[in-house]
Amino acid sequence: MITINNLRKVYNTGAVAVEALKGITLNIENSEFVAVMGPSGSGKSTLMNLLGLLDTATDGTYHLDDQEVSGLDKNQLAELRNRKLGFVFQTFNLIPSLTALKNVELPMLYAGLKPQERRERAIIALDRVGLGERTHHRPNELSGGQNQRVAIARAIVNNPAVIMADEPTGALDTRTGEEIMAIFQQLHQEGATIVLVTHEPEIAQHAQRILRFKDGLLTSDEVVENRTIAFRKEVVG
Amino acid sequence: MNFKEFIFVALEGVRNNKLRSFLTTLGIVIGIAAVIAVIAIGEGGKAMIIGEMEKFGTNIYQIYPNYRDGEYTKPRDFTKEDVEVIKKISPEVKWLSPMKYSRGEIRSSLGKKNARIIGTTADYKLIRSVELARGRFFNEEDDAVGRRVVVLDEKLGEEIFGRDNPVGQRVMLWNSQPALVIGVIKARESQLGMEPDRMAYVPISFMEGSNQWRYVNSLIGSAASKDTVYKAMDRTKLILERRHNSPGHYDSYSMEEEMKTVNKITGIMGLIISSIAGVSLLVGGIGVMNIMLVSVTERTREIGIRMALGAKRKDILMQFLIEAVVLCSIGGVIGIILGYGGAMVVAQFLNLPPLVSWWTALGAFIFSAIIGIFFGIYPANKASKLDPIVALRRE
Repeated sequence: MITINNLRKVYNTGAVAVEALKGITLNIENSEFVAVMGPSGSGKSTLMNLLGLLDTATDGTYHLDDQEVSGLDKNQLAELRNRKLGFVFQTFNLIPSLTALKNVELPMLYAGLKPQERRERAIIALDRVGLGERTHHRPNELSGGQNQRVAIARAIVNNPAVIMADEPTGALDTRTGEEIMAIFQQLHQEGATIVLVTHEPEIAQHAQRILRFKDGLLTSDEVVENRTIAFRKEVVG
Repeated sequence: MNFKEFIFVALEGVRNNKLRSFLTTLGIVIGIAAVIAVIAIGEGGKAMIIGEMEKFGTNIYQIYPNYRDGEYTKPRDFTKEDVEVIKKISPEVKWLSPMKYSRGEIRSSLGKKNARIIGTTADYKLIRSVELARGRFFNEEDDAVGRRVVVLDEKLGEEIFGRDNPVGQRVMLWNSQPALVIGVIKARESQLGMEPDRMAYVPISFMEGSNQWRYVNSLIGSAASKDTVYKAMDRTKLILERRHNSPGHYDSYSMEEEMKTVNKITGIMGLIISSIAGVSLLVGGIGVMNIMLVSVTERTREIGIRMALGAKRKDILMQFLIEAVVLCSIGGVIGIILGYGGAMVVAQFLNLPPLVSWWTALGAFIFSAIIGIFFGIYPANKASKLDPIVALRRE
C-alpha cells in the first residue's frame, strides 16, 4: 500500500539546512495497522506530512497504492489526498461553524458528489463511529471524544486507501482514548490500512507493528506481541 | 464543487456572522443607496420638469429681437403681414401669433387687480392649447375688427369678481378702455410656477387701436411636429430677416432647447453626486477587502483543513471570492431598498415622483457584485496560496 525508498527531507531554515529525514526506506502492506513512535524532533511528523501528501520530499520515492507521487503538482496532490487518504488529527480539526454532518460531508464536497449522496454516506459514516444521533450538533456542542469520532467519520467517508492518524488520543482522557482506539481497531478489522503516530507506548500497543524513529532515522521496526484489544462501548453519551 | 455550493457555503458564513457581515458591507449599502436615491430623485425631477414643459407644449417656439445694439423693441420688428406671410409659405409652421405685453389695471364694479395684459390673436389658443373654464377665447373675427373683448385667467377672474361669473361682465382696462369679458381660462396645475402671473388676453388689434403700444414684442409659434421645431424656427427667422433686411436681428427660443438644457443640467448633477457615491463605494470596497483579509487570517486553520481534505487552490479561491461577492450583493440589495425608500421620503417633501427603473436597480446590483469580485480577489488569492501544513498548524 505504501512503499517509500530512501526518502529524505531537508528544511532550509535560513543559513542552516536541517535534515529532518535522513533516507527512510519502508513498506506498509494493505490492511496493516502501523504505529509510528519517536520523541519530538525524531522526524515522525515530517514523515506523516510526506505520507499524507501535505509536503513533498527532497529526495527518494514514495508509492501510494502503486502510484508514484513525487513530481505531482499541488492540485494532483489535493486530489490524491481527497481520494486515497483520511486524516485524523490530535485537535480534531473540525470546522467550528459546520455541523457534524456538514463536516463529514466536506471530503465528498471536494470529490464532487451530489448533496443527496453526500448526506447519505455521511450519516452511514457517523453511524459506524457510533454518532448516529448527534449529526446536527456543532463541534462546540460535542465532547472531545465525540468530536474525534466525527473526525474519524470524516476520514473514512471517502473510503480512503490509508487512514493517517496523528496523535488521535493526545487531547483525550485515557478512557475516551481507549474508545477511540477501539474504533480504529474495528476499522482495521474491517480491512482499513492505518498509520498512527503516537508518543504513548500504551496507545502504540493497539497496533500490529511499531516503527520507532530517532534523529531522522528509522531505528526499529517490530511486530507487536500481546496487542491491547480496546473495548468499545456500544452507546456513548 | 459547483457554483451553487459555493454560494451556499458563503451564505452560511454570512449567517454565522450577521453583525460583522452587515458592518462589512455597510459602505456598499451607503454607496448604492446614495446612487439609487440620486438617480430616483434626479429622474423624478426631470420627469416632472419635462412633464411641465410638455404641458406648455413641446412644439412651441418664440422669436424675439435681440437687443445687442442697446435698443429696445422697434416698431418695425414684426408686422401683421409678417405673420400672414410666414404662415402661408412655411409648411413647418402650423400656427403663429404676435404677442404684445403690457401691464395694467383691470377694474370692474366688484374689484380691481393689476395684471399682465397680453395682446395676441386667435391662434394663441391653439398654440398654447388653452382650455376654457367658461365662455370662449377670441376668434379671427374679433381679431379682424379689433373687438373690445378680454379673456381672464381663472384666478384673476375670482379676484375681481369673487364668486360671480365674469363672463358677460364689463371691465375697464388701463383705466381708460372698456371691454367685455368673454371667457375664463382654466388654471393649469403647475408645480414649477411657470405661470405665476395674473394674466388677461385681448385681441392685439384692440390693443393697437386703443393705446400707444404700436409694436409687437415677439412671435409665438407652433411647429407642425416636435421634429420640425428647429426648421420652423429657422424658417420664421429667415423670412423675418429678409423682409426687414436685418440679418442677425432675431433670436429664438424653444421648449425643445429648454429640455436639452434640463437634460444637460440633470446629467451634470447626477454625475457629480454619482462620483461622490463612487468614492463611498470605493471606501466600502476597501472595507470589504480589509475584513476579508482579516477573515482569511482568522480562518487559516479552516483553510488548512479544507486543503488537507482535498480542496484545490481553485476551490479555496472561489469560496472566498464568492463570499465577498455575496456580501457585496447583499449590501447592494439593502442599498437599493434603502435608496429607494430615502428617495420616496425626499420625493414626498419635494412633491415629485421618484423613478427607479428596473435597469437602474439591476445595474446597481451587478455593480455591487463587481465590487465584490474586484475587492475580493486579493484576499481570496491570498487564502488559496496558503501552505496546508502551515495553515493546519495555526492556532
